[in-house]
Amino acid sequence: MTHMVSLMKKVISIEKLVKKYGKLAAVDGISFDVYQGEIFGLLGENGAGKTTTLEIIEGLRKPTSGKISILGHDIRHGIKDIKEQIGVQLQSSAYYNFLTLREILELFASFYSTQMDPLKLLQMVHLEEKSNSYVNSLSGGQKQRFSIVASLVNDPQIVFLDEPTTGLDPLARRNLWQVISDIKAKGKTIILTTHYMEEAEALCDRVAIMEKGKILTIGETHKLVGATHNPYRINFITKKINTNLFNEISKFGEIKNLIGKANNFELRLKTQKELNQVLPLIQQLDPEGLIVGRSTLEDLFIQLTGKTIGE
Amino acid sequence: MLKLFVNNLKMLIRNKQSLFWSLMFPLIFTFIFGTFFGKGSSMTGNVILINKSKSPLAKSIEQTLDKTDLFKLSKSTNLSASRNLIKKNKAMAVILIPEGFGDTQPNAPTKIKLISDPSNAQGTSLVAGLLDKVLTFSSFQAQGAKPLFSIEQETTSATKSNYFDFVLVGLLGMALMNSSIQGIAIVMAKYKEDQILKRLTTTPLKTWKFIVAEVLSRLLLNFVQVSLILSIGVYVFGAHIYGNIPLVYLFALIGAILFQLIGFTIASLTKTTQAAEGMATAIAIPMMFLAGVFFPIDQLPKWLFSAVQYLPLAPLLRMIRGIALEKISPLENPMNIIIVIAWIIIALIISTYKFRLSEE
Repeated sequence: MTHMVSLMKKVISIEKLVKKYGKLAAVDGISFDVYQGEIFGLLGENGAGKTTTLEIIEGLRKPTSGKISILGHDIRHGIKDIKEQIGVQLQSSAYYNFLTLREILELFASFYSTQMDPLKLLQMVHLEEKSNSYVNSLSGGQKQRFSIVASLVNDPQIVFLDEPTTGLDPLARRNLWQVISDIKAKGKTIILTTHYMEEAEALCDRVAIMEKGKILTIGETHKLVGATHNPYRINFITKKINTNLFNEISKFGEIKNLIGKANNFELRLKTQKELNQVLPLIQQLDPEGLIVGRSTLEDLFIQLTGKTIGE
Repeated sequence: MLKLFVNNLKMLIRNKQSLFWSLMFPLIFTFIFGTFFGKGSSMTGNVILINKSKSPLAKSIEQTLDKTDLFKLSKSTNLSASRNLIKKNKAMAVILIPEGFGDTQPNAPTKIKLISDPSNAQGTSLVAGLLDKVLTFSSFQAQGAKPLFSIEQETTSATKSNYFDFVLVGLLGMALMNSSIQGIAIVMAKYKEDQILKRLTTTPLKTWKFIVAEVLSRLLLNFVQVSLILSIGVYVFGAHIYGNIPLVYLFALIGAILFQLIGFTIASLTKTTQAAEGMATAIAIPMMFLAGVFFPIDQLPKWLFSAVQYLPLAPLLRMIRGIALEKISPLENPMNIIIVIAWIIIALIISTYKFRLSEE
């Protein structure tokens, strides 16, 4: 997984990209690069500009200004060559109703000069038994898997996945993570958007967090998480509300009474030393469900945007 | 593009519901109109004759009525029973020849009574006309005279067509219009709603290839439609097609292209499948009744006719009827072809300007 960092070959380069709808800037002057073989995540709320950015890179929308280069082709002149080498999965796209999975893959493959074997693709996502079925006979997870594999018919260098797991149950989502990492293992570059922070944390080598058309932060996922203000976290539930002890603990950081469960508390800390000092104090409260952990991407997201994400 | 064409055909055939509307619906109409107005259907009227006279004149009238193929003649002696048959719609008229009619005695009756169903004006005038003719001829004979004046009939065309021939071409146009306008408008709107069009733009597929494959696969369906309607009309119900068949096909398919373009225009102007369906229906239904599918539109009030004669379907039907029923070249009245081309250009401009696979 680390070999790609050492190669550091840019496959996508974006400079000062702007997309305006009337006076509203959906994308407001963003710049970033994507490197070969990595999974790059664009995170943000609905309306942050993730999909618009993605669709401009895919050639579906025209940028108001900015420079985009994909696999060495400028998007303004080389879109035909670019389309040959990218695979796109759209957010909530349906496929033909009266064609079988196999026929759809064959049809889409016929638009490209490089073509993959439809049956091999279906095998990759365990849909080979459904090859003669129609799309509407598939479950939500199967549909998403098919939709992803349909973006691979031309054996693309770069794969774009727009919210590939939205609306799926946890099991189907994990299942899809496996598919995505299988695609990465084949040496493809993947750009995905998501608003599930744990998903981005699990899958993405690097992420960019967007808000209102701007990139708030960008970098390697684990480094960004490690650089949050209070990287250490203790969660516990206690019925023993001892004011003295609470005051003592509060010296290390603010104790938050979390919403939801009763007497559910969280404490955030800056260093491991503080963690070691505060833990014995918390033990005196007879805590139940004690969790000691590190910040997550979600914490970073909340820190940056000042709110929790929808859903 | 061949692959897209073949797959479009597969989808057309597998979509049973739309296949029903494009193939079966017009055929059902053909069967209905064929049964009413096609071959052999003119004999369906029943006329009852009650002849109480034994005179040679009454006898000869009876023979004349018996020979006509305008209606089926049955004989009876019971007047009230026969009246009841009219009320039950089992007969359209009763002809009563009174006792002594045609006798040479001075006060013998000279009138034949015709009792008919007031709701069947067409049948009544048919029987009355025939009867009047027979009686006039007999009157002349009785006076030993010959008619001085008579009609020499001539129609504007060298061919003989009936209402079924007229309506068969109308149904052909209706089938092409419905399946093309509705078919394209609904399918394209659905593709748009399902983001299939957007998905296609992420591939190197060119828009024109997509449209050509779509249009060609539908033209093949239209070809089957035309063939089915014409062959059932001609071979089952005895319709007359006098003109050049390939020319009929050519103009039918020109019409299909025009209607497909209208379908694309609708799809490009509407946002949802439902809206496209509504707009397609709103365009197709008035045309079904006002563009001459079921009756000649020149019978409409003048103000209405002067407007509806320009509806896209109207000039097409005029041309196809001209070719098929009267062997008239479509170039004889260039106005028709000008109207069709004008509509094609209008629809083409709107759809090329407005129809996009993706939003931008």
